[in-house]
Amino acid sequence: MSEPNALAQKLAVLSAREVVDQTGARMISEGGSPSPVAAILREVDDTVLERCLAFRCDGTTVRIIAAGRRMRGILSVSPKSNADVIGQVLSREDPDVVQAAHDLLEELCGKAENMTVRSLPSEPFGNSGERGVSALGLAELWGVALAEVDSTPKPPMEQFLTVNAPAFSSVLHICDGEIVAKEGDFAALQAIWSTQVEAFREAHKKTLRGEEAAQLICLDGAFDDGNSAALALYEGHVALISYEAERFGAMQASWQRIFA
Amino acid sequence: MVVDELDALREKFEGCTAVAFADLSTKMILVTDSHSNLRREALDALCEEAALLLGANGKPALADKPSGMASVASTSQLRVFLRAEDEPNDVLCCICGPKMDADKFVADACACLDRISSGE
Repeated sequence: MSEPNALAQKLAVLSAREVVDQTGARMISEGGSPSPVAAILREVDDTVLERCLAFRCDGTTVRIIAAGRRMRGILSVSPKSNADVIGQVLSREDPDVVQAAHDLLEELCGKAENMTVRSLPSEPFGNSGERGVSALGLAELWGVALAEVDSTPKPPMEQFLTVNAPAFSSVLHICDGEIVAKEGDFAALQAIWSTQVEAFREAHKKTLRGEEAAQLICLDGAFDDGNSAALALYEGHVALISYEAERFGAMQASWQRIFA
Repeated sequence: MVVDELDALREKFEGCTAVAFADLSTKMILVTDSHSNLRREALDALCEEAALLLGANGKPALADKPSGMASVASTSQLRVFLRAEDEPNDVLCCICGPKMDADKFVADACACLDRISSGE
């Protein structure tokens, strides 16, 4: 492995926030937060040595060449796209190309709920003197609030509830006995909280053997309207949730990413 | 045989560490997969948990009605409990590692339970 590649890999590992699979793909946008385009620009801004960044969302992969915290351009899109901007080096002197890059990224990724990135060795792209446009410059040109993205991680329970919000029809979030958030038809959840939860937790504790710091308990189709019930427990936090049954797998995956 | 079905499910999913077939009416584990090394107390606890979460005797654990599928995810495990559609006392109790593809596992475990319960 060449020194620049080794260094690039180390930098990528050091900056890794959440490794989600064996290929080294990291989740950089969950539940639309930060927005996928902002997440792309953040990754570009973190890239010093020339790399090919492979962004994946909703079955689409966008490969971008980045170096010196600048986006040089979009190398390829899969499934294949015929957009003219693919393969062109971005330059402030050609605003149409810069805008076309934004439009393509918005079209492909703008509404994605989740996005991952892999940092790969660079591939030939344009001329070496064509440096592209800085991530901060693109954020300004595209109206993306890059600087305002709060990189401080939210507390785990808040993170879980935010990421999975699209799956929930109602939520009651309680911390140390006090209601801290409620969404949707929380009255039904409040009734369950005051009449069922304590007895359930006591009964459940008796079945456990010395566990467990964080728990996500899911009960499929437990509501009369067909929705499922979940009880998320972490330290002093309890979240009682009504969710769509088909989102079960995604909820489990995000629970493990956040708490495991 | 039931144990073959349980073994097949466990072998298909690398992260699956134990599968047991239980009867909710007696709250007893009837068969485990052949590689399971869970002690009797652990099996009893697993069955108790299944009875609570699936709502034995028609009493829901939480909310309005008993569930056909329940799960408990901790940082080290995902436990899945399934009830047979036609035989509500036939249940499958599964212990998996935390990184399991929950949707795929539940789909296969449901099919496994249906075959066992219908005597196929």
